[in-house]
Amino acid sequence: MAEFRLPANSRPVPGISHPAPPGAREVRTFRIYRFNPDSTENPRIDTFVLEVKATGPMVLDALIQIKSTLDSTLTFRRSCREGICGSCAMNVNGVNRLACTTSMQDLGAGIRIYPLPHMPVVKDLVPDLTNFYAQYAAVKPWLQSRTPPPPDRERLQSKEDQDKIDRPAACILCACCSTACPSYWWNSERFLGPAALLAAYRWIIDSRDEASGERLDELEDPFRLYRCHTIMNCTDVCPKDLNPARAIAEIKKMLLGRQE
Amino acid sequence: MSLRSPLGRVLGQGAARGGVRHWWEQRLTSLALVPLTVWFVVSLLTLPSLGYATLSAWMSQSWTALLLILLVLVSAWHSQLGLRVVVEDYVHDAGARTLTLVLLGFLHVLVATAGVFAVLRVAFGTAA
Repeated sequence: MAEFRLPANSRPVPGISHPAPPGAREVRTFRIYRFNPDSTENPRIDTFVLEVKATGPMVLDALIQIKSTLDSTLTFRRSCREGICGSCAMNVNGVNRLACTTSMQDLGAGIRIYPLPHMPVVKDLVPDLTNFYAQYAAVKPWLQSRTPPPPDRERLQSKEDQDKIDRPAACILCACCSTACPSYWWNSERFLGPAALLAAYRWIIDSRDEASGERLDELEDPFRLYRCHTIMNCTDVCPKDLNPARAIAEIKKMLLGRQE
Repeated sequence: MSLRSPLGRVLGQGAARGGVRHWWEQRLTSLALVPLTVWFVVSLLTLPSLGYATLSAWMSQSWTALLLILLVLVSAWHSQLGLRVVVEDYVHDAGARTLTLVLLGFLHVLVATAGVFAVLRVAFGTAA
């Protein structure tokens, strides 16, 4: 059966409470998932209290502040701090988002931060994305063409054709969508997930690509593609406002269209 | 433990080259069930009574019997398609999954046949 509960040694227990800084007036409380792979203890939920006025505006600002002032062992991925690298995807107040583009003003005084759901945890807020990246590699996310490129310039593409791939190509592979998808939770070994399917779609509709048929062949599978039950959490959470659910629907339409 | 590469695991045994029919049939049957279900519910609500005499008189009309048989067959088909997905989603052990799917298939054929048989029996007035 699909696993609906965490294994006993993965269930979080209450952790360490760090008190509010002395003299703080308006404060925000962070409950953060902690897991140390070097210890045999269960994951724990640590509590940190920061003064609102002394913290930057984004969730990532708070995490960096906690790491540099309260607990240097707090582990998370981050790089660009402007929503283009996709490193700091995490589950904040129950929703997958990028910590760097999530303003704390909209989240209230209590903020819960967990790693992306239903993924193996490497440490604290760092999930193991090996399978996710392998799924991306599996859809061959590169141009495949039998026509050789013109010798003197790049392959041309009309403006209308470029517009079709403009949005799908803006995916930053943060994994917010795939890890928000219940179908992906239960069947991530066989269902490719919204991110990889959006990437596949981006190449299927690329006017310069000549492998659309083979790409569709590789997706025509009850699990790889058809585990999508149009739940649409993917589109709901995408921090780049992309629409993987629509891309998947378009792939299904293309697969039907080439049979009818 | 396996040292197989992550990409090797994802590629697995390849694409089954199927699933389109299942997906399309699920959409078609749900579309067909909209008018059939509305007709069935409205008919039951507008019947003067739900007694056996009234119902058997209603069911012995050709159109009623025909639509009822369609309703039974399309519902069973739709239910088979839907429950199959549920089992595939949640039952991960290959043996248990195959067994459940086979039993589910048999059960749906049984229910559909029994439904058609019941409609015909009442429609042709041979029920005791």
